[in-house]
Amino acid sequence: MTDHGAESPHVELLELLAVMSSFSDEDAAMGGAVERAAQTLEAEVAAIVVDDRVTASVGFPAKSVPEADLLAIARRERDTLHVPGAGECVAIVVEWAGPHHGHLVVARAGNGFSVEEHSVVRGMARLLSLTLTMLRTLAAEHAMRERSEQLLDSLRQRQRLLEHLFDIQRSISRRRPLAQILDLITSAAQDLLGDEMVGLWVYDTRDTTRARLVSSVGLAQDFAPEGLTVPLAEAGATGAAMLTDDVVVRCGYQDTSDLIAELTGGALCASMAAPVHDSGTVTGSLLVGSYRPDRVYGPSDIQTLRAFADQVSLALTDANTVDRMYQAFRDSLTGLASRGLFLDLLRERLEAGSAPVALLFLDLDRFKDVNDTLGHAAGDALLVTTANRLTSQLRETDIVARFGGDEFVVMLSGVSNATEASAVAQRILGVLGEPMLIGGRKLRIGASIGIALHTPDVPDPADLIRRADIAMYQVKRNGRCGYRMFVDDMWSAVD
Amino acid sequence: MTESRDGRRWMGVGQSAHPDSHTAADAAGRAALVGAEPKLMIVFAGIDHDGTAMLDALGHIAPGVPVIGCSTHGEIGPDGAQDDTVLVAAIGGAGFTVSTSVATEVSGRQRDAGAEVARCVADVGAAPYRVLMLLTDGLLRDQEAILRGCYRELGASIPLFGGAAGDAWRMTGAYVLGDGRTMSDAVVAATITSDAPLSLAVRHGWHEVGEPMIVTSAELGRVYTLDDRPAMDLFLDRLSAPPDAYTDTQAFTQFALSRPLGVRRRSGLEARNVSTEVDMAGRSIGGGSAIDHGSLVWAMTGDEESIAAATDQACEQALTGLGAYEPVGMLTLSCAGLRAVLGEDGTRRESERLAKWAAGIPFAGFHTYGEIARIRGIDGFHNQTLAVLAFA
Repeated sequence: MTDHGAESPHVELLELLAVMSSFSDEDAAMGGAVERAAQTLEAEVAAIVVDDRVTASVGFPAKSVPEADLLAIARRERDTLHVPGAGECVAIVVEWAGPHHGHLVVARAGNGFSVEEHSVVRGMARLLSLTLTMLRTLAAEHAMRERSEQLLDSLRQRQRLLEHLFDIQRSISRRRPLAQILDLITSAAQDLLGDEMVGLWVYDTRDTTRARLVSSVGLAQDFAPEGLTVPLAEAGATGAAMLTDDVVVRCGYQDTSDLIAELTGGALCASMAAPVHDSGTVTGSLLVGSYRPDRVYGPSDIQTLRAFADQVSLALTDANTVDRMYQAFRDSLTGLASRGLFLDLLRERLEAGSAPVALLFLDLDRFKDVNDTLGHAAGDALLVTTANRLTSQLRETDIVARFGGDEFVVMLSGVSNATEASAVAQRILGVLGEPMLIGGRKLRIGASIGIALHTPDVPDPADLIRRADIAMYQVKRNGRCGYRMFVDDMWSAVD
Repeated sequence: MTESRDGRRWMGVGQSAHPDSHTAADAAGRAALVGAEPKLMIVFAGIDHDGTAMLDALGHIAPGVPVIGCSTHGEIGPDGAQDDTVLVAAIGGAGFTVSTSVATEVSGRQRDAGAEVARCVADVGAAPYRVLMLLTDGLLRDQEAILRGCYRELGASIPLFGGAAGDAWRMTGAYVLGDGRTMSDAVVAATITSDAPLSLAVRHGWHEVGEPMIVTSAELGRVYTLDDRPAMDLFLDRLSAPPDAYTDTQAFTQFALSRPLGVRRRSGLEARNVSTEVDMAGRSIGGGSAIDHGSLVWAMTGDEESIAAATDQACEQALTGLGAYEPVGMLTLSCAGLRAVLGEDGTRRESERLAKWAAGIPFAGFHTYGEIARIRGIDGFHNQTLAVLAFA
């Protein structure tokens, strides 16, 4: 059975993001957030506390919200809460900082919350904080506009741009192509902050001492084509923000590197960069730069840049979620099924009983020697080549998994007798025996294969795998490089 | 009838296949009213039965006793699963207290309607054991919002149980009974308090197939893409569906009826029916229940054996939840979709299984368009499950 509760917390955050981006006022956003938090954590209670006041809650009868108890939990004076109908519940609280700082409280009957669940609640609080900041800014500007005709034009523009932030969130939640979303963010950041230049940089995957430009506005293409990489140490505020995981402001570029001077045509006077994250890890920074000598970045500029950087982080995290989920079920080196996935699929296949199943347990011969003499990189290359060759000999209905190290297991569907299974094993030995070009050398690798057939008296997947494993060891004992069919007599050899 | 040992609570069930609604309700009601102090009558009836005539008949044999009820996709009673009958369950005795409420014109204000009917909880005094029973018009969209409205009003203070009325798959209009009226676009509720345990359980009999998928685009209860591919195609691929399920609406419905989408929740997978509201042109899937963007989902499948196992688990859990108390009766609400999976013989065997668990105590239920069982957390609207409420 797959463990449905142990997936990446980012999936829950995406669900919340989709919900949050649909609200247009603060009360609705808080009401929606507490319901979603309770739903995700299967909790009886969720509440938001702002300025020593419970501003939204779910889980208590109307008009009977125990405000004092919830405030005590927000202040961390206690960590349990009595909930009518659910009894004594374990509570957790996450605080968010910033100009509208507050707390998200979640309480649930039964055992406490796992580390992953804490992480989900933290992510939710951060998203909530971002959404509330945007909504409050919008509301405040609505009010100001009514009071001051003089501010009308600038506020109209600002409101339009803040609304644009919601468009970005919606684009992320509807999974528009990542490049398009990143371009949308850099354009919006330029529009809102009014600077001449915006660039989004991420760590270069081939050389993490360098940053790579993935989206930009206002940089001359001749000087800064997308895909350009620069050393972090010479990347000014961009590099500093990535290294310190904080917003960095640089005024005056008298002492700037030649590289930065070249990229901006020598015009850059001030710059500011905020880190961006993928699943909580710094992965790059969003940089704005001004060519005006009088440009000064104040607290509201910093907050705005952070908001855009958060949007980038969400977009990157979202884009990688499907990949990560795939990886959780796949062996990261070879792309074959993981052990867990293989066991699930085998169990399903056996329970369905619709077709006979044969298992091949394969262990490479002298793999350790390759690893020891040629190094791990060569070992990895050998495993990848083996995986590709194995796959080439199988049908789409067959499944092959890497169980770890140099062990592979193959499930042959619709194979009911020793002759058919042996023919596949023979083919695999043949193709693996062909020379492999590894680390500039031609290697020949043998393998030992144990075969077990599924019969009605072996209903357990683990038992079937064990039989194939035992047969494989018989091959190893008898001089390697070959295959053996499991027979009951082999149990005695194990005992 | 079964009466509790202390004589303070009883439950009775009667069923009639008479085609005349008044006559059928009279017979079923008399059979169910077997104890003193009846507190509530619950009616489950075929879609063609006349609600007013049934209410009139029950009003005559038990004046002043509140009646709630609804139309079905088949009634489930001790004599097996049947269609077009009138099934009446009655509870009574000094140990039970009941208050009822009704919300009408629910479409578009599901949350408010939920909060409205939930207020009947305040009409009964404090009691150690309580449940709010809800019967909703099964053709209402966004049934979850009705429960959210209840939860907003009541919090975790009381469990919710019930079901969505059926109309024998006609999809033209179901009805609910309450406050002496027959209504569509409505919700009826009954708060039941007891001096002995009331125990709820809900189970589905589905298991996941293959690898999970992420909902990469969804809106208004429809899933447009899974893993960035058209949802319908990936869903069918995962289940190795026959070619005509990809192109023929009828074939898709038939295939998907027994293959819900499993939405990941902390405690397991929640089954979501995607067999209705087919979108061949847009390649999206959905069935009216919310499935959010970003959710992790699995294609699921099941058969008579897995559904039977779920029936066993739900009954066992509900009855075990009564602790040392003897059960006096059960309400058993099963999804209409399960009938399609089980077929006629399988449905009969499911009823026999329920009867075995009931072991002589009365039970009544119906095949629903959605089951309600909020036991913990905030959610409680289910698809393709069996929900059981046991009375001690």
